[in-house]
Amino acid sequence: MADTMLHTSDVSMGPPRQGALEKFRADYFGRPSDVILTLGGTALLVYIGWHLFQWAILDAAFSADVGAKACEAKAGACWSVIAARWRLMFFGLYPYEEHWRSGLACAIAIGVGILSCVPYFWTARRLTVTWVLGFAAFVVLMRGGVFGLSEVTEEQWGGLSLTIFIFAAVALIGMPLSILLALMRRSSTPFVSVPVGLLIDTVRSLPLITILFTVAVVVPILVPSWLQGEKLYRVIAGMALFFAAYQAEIIRSGIQSLSSGQDEAGRTLGLTYWQRMIYIVLPQAFRRALPPTINQMVITFKETSLIIIVGLFEFLASGNAAYGSGEWAFAYVEVYVFIAFVYFVFVFSLSRYGAYLERRMRIAQH
Amino acid sequence: MLATGPHAIRVDRLNKYYNAHHALKDVSLTVENGERIVICGPSGSGKSTLIRCISRLEDHQSGDITVLGHRIGHDEVSEARIHREVGMVFQHFNLFPHMTILENCTLAPIRVRRMSRADAEARAMTFLERVHIPEQAHKYPGELSGGQQQRVAIARSLCMMPQIMLFDEPTSALDPEMIAEVLDVMIELASDGLTMICVTHEMGFARKAADRVIFMDQGEIVEEAPPEVFFSAPRHQRTKDFLGQILSH
Ligand SMILES: Nc1ncnc2c1ncn2[C@@H]1O[C@H](COP(=O)(O)OP(=O)(O)OP(=O)(O)O)[C@@H](O)[C@H]1O
Ligand SMILES: [Mg+2]
Repeated sequence: MADTMLHTSDVSMGPPRQGALEKFRADYFGRPSDVILTLGGTALLVYIGWHLFQWAILDAAFSADVGAKACEAKAGACWSVIAARWRLMFFGLYPYEEHWRSGLACAIAIGVGILSCVPYFWTARRLTVTWVLGFAAFVVLMRGGVFGLSEVTEEQWGGLSLTIFIFAAVALIGMPLSILLALMRRSSTPFVSVPVGLLIDTVRSLPLITILFTVAVVVPILVPSWLQGEKLYRVIAGMALFFAAYQAEIIRSGIQSLSSGQDEAGRTLGLTYWQRMIYIVLPQAFRRALPPTINQMVITFKETSLIIIVGLFEFLASGNAAYGSGEWAFAYVEVYVFIAFVYFVFVFSLSRYGAYLERRMRIAQH
Repeated sequence: MLATGPHAIRVDRLNKYYNAHHALKDVSLTVENGERIVICGPSGSGKSTLIRCISRLEDHQSGDITVLGHRIGHDEVSEARIHREVGMVFQHFNLFPHMTILENCTLAPIRVRRMSRADAEARAMTFLERVHIPEQAHKYPGELSGGQQQRVAIARSLCMMPQIMLFDEPTSALDPEMIAEVLDVMIELASDGLTMICVTHEMGFARKAADRVIFMDQGEIVEEAPPEVFFSAPRHQRTKDFLGQILSH
């Protein structure tokens, strides 16, 4: 009897809790083989970590004053190459005295990106105002020719500012375009849905490189010069189309996953097609399509490095130039580690932001 | 506003096909202003199809539908007009899960009726009180029970001040203990003089609230009669079989 009493009171207390320490011991030191694996793995990690630390910090040269020769003689990493050449990597061929403009434009673009991630800005008007102002400020700073700023044409743009500019422009043009394509592909009129479906599937079946070559090399041959526009903008248009073709399918799958009752409820309330799309269908479709959308953004950010092949001087190309000038040629590892680190900062923030959004939407929706 | 004709709804020799399947066969039906109709019938008999044709969620192939004096064509304009005057409640509620209850109820009044947010919210609260859940206004649909969600769906439709309400099996996705709370709300609506067409197998509701009960089978209206007559003296064998089946439970 007493036993049963004890038992029931145990149950009402909830499942027994295991202390963190006990759990750790059981997981990692439970059996002899676990002990060996745990100790061996730790030793290996410490060994590798120590050597990395030695290379990257202890034996490394940091100052730009260390000459290339002295730097090469060191056992560790030669970060001096970054200190000496960072302007080339960040600003490319942009005129030296005007680098502050490129830097400021870059900061504005990143600022606008961060602002549009804040829920306060998530109304059509606030987003549009932020983007239009941000974009205008970016172009005015970069291009100049007004407000007493000297003119710097697009061929001279380069480095990280160019990478960010291309990514922002591609996302900004590609996202609305992808929504349009997704909706048109779902149209009940075959005159609309069939050509759009063909367009999406064609673009998706081409490698990005062929599209870049087409817009950069083939278009100037085929299209009259007054219609061509700057190569940079042709490349952006091509990448935006490529992005939109993939993103359209992501959005379409989000829409398809909604029950038809959602749209029907909107119809019986008298909402027009666009009202139903804007207030009911697209918000829900975007929530469901959020993980692949973030994925697509990440891919697009990294794909901006492909434009190196059509002769635009973006971040990776500028990095190549930074070590490619004879005296620093030995330091390519350091340069690539640094480039990778910068890409990592951007892409990792993007994925963490995606994770935050998902959590937020789960809370709002249960 | 639509001119109110002599009838709320007139359906004249309506035919509806799903590809080769003949779902409605020469269906004719007249509903007067303020009348409360209950439609029942076995599964697949075309009940949903009929009210979905009236609410323009489906196109018909032949026959006429006149709602509040307007003949329904296949164009966008008449569709928009119908939807402003005819509310619909679905079996699966179809609340918008990404909006709060209040936002669900104010979306259409603000966007379609061009009401100010304050007015729309005041109206929404009035109707949420009428369905007895004003305290849930700031929750999301996922946080409510099925019965509460269906009552919100009713309030959401009422916020558009429709002249006609259509219900498609509003209680058949609900647990038994929640059916009563939804039916109570519907009975209150019925006594307010709203024109209602309700597809349901809740015969208690039909007895209490309906002016007329319509029995459909295989795409046809087999029998229509006031509830007293319908339940006590059905004329057709098919009606008797059906009533025998559902009343035996
Ligand atoms: N979208 C559709 N496509 C093809 N056939 C359909 C469609 N909707 C309904 N049907 C068919 O039309 C007939 C009538 O369907 P309806 O949904 O109107 O029946 P119901 O009386 O509402 O039945 P239930 O009580 O099961 O809801 C059924 O045979 C059904 O299979
Ligand atoms: Mg049905």
